[in-house]
Amino acid sequence: MRRDVFQGIADPTRRAILGRLAQEKLNLTTLTDHYDISRQSVTKHIKILEQCGLVVIEKKGRDRYVSARPEKLIEVVRWAAQYRAFFAERYDRLDEYLKTIE
Amino acid sequence: MSKHQLQVETNGSELILTRQFDALRTKVFKAYTSCEHLKHWWGTREWPISYCKIDFRVGGQWHYCLSGPDGMESWGLALYKDIKEPELIVYEDWFADKDGNKNTGFPSTTVRTEFLEKDGKTIIRSTAKYNSPEDLKKVLDMGMETGISETMDKLEEYLAETK
Repeated sequence: MRRDVFQGIADPTRRAILGRLAQEKLNLTTLTDHYDISRQSVTKHIKILEQCGLVVIEKKGRDRYVSARPEKLIEVVRWAAQYRAFFAERYDRLDEYLKTIE
Repeated sequence: MSKHQLQVETNGSELILTRQFDALRTKVFKAYTSCEHLKHWWGTREWPISYCKIDFRVGGQWHYCLSGPDGMESWGLALYKDIKEPELIVYEDWFADKDGNKNTGFPSTTVRTEFLEKDGKTIIRSTAKYNSPEDLKKVLDMGMETGISETMDKLEEYLAETK
């Protein structure tokens, strides 16, 4: 299942996990122990982050390591940059609309 | 007649939009105050406004939805903090749901829209500012240490180039 990057960062816990992973690659067990919420719940968040392309999980023997792929966040920035065109169009419409009213 | 250009500036965590309109300030201001007006222009061609309910007063709110391609919906909630007719509207801008609940998982901004009159024309200056450093941090935190600051610089350059 593919999700988009916005779903990834929509949740505060996932942002916290991503923030932690931005500093270092972590063993999945270490990572889940770090949070107050259940291990199952953390695992679910990590799974979603993986589906968003924001983290990758590597298997090494019995361990699984999670690392961040923050470059995916560029999509957020590109999305924000589009806003210029969005606002320009909005104001053009206002301009046109003002001509039609008293 | 050529259209006036939108100017975009950034100042720290503020995004400032400026544009002139060839209309009286009272009229431009009015276009912001009711759904009857807003439905004609607040959305765009790709993201038309599909829901609008407004209580235009300090302490009141504006709940709206922009509907995009592929059934995407973007619900917004504006909480009016200051209104000085016909020169100023200040509101807190939140991502929301269809029931009007704020989505506190996303950072909110304060949008300050000033209407300046000049020779019978009006200049709108709209400043969007993140409400707290923590709010901005929510978005930037994970990226800052790992290279997104470079991307942010690119965004800043892009915004500067396309002024």
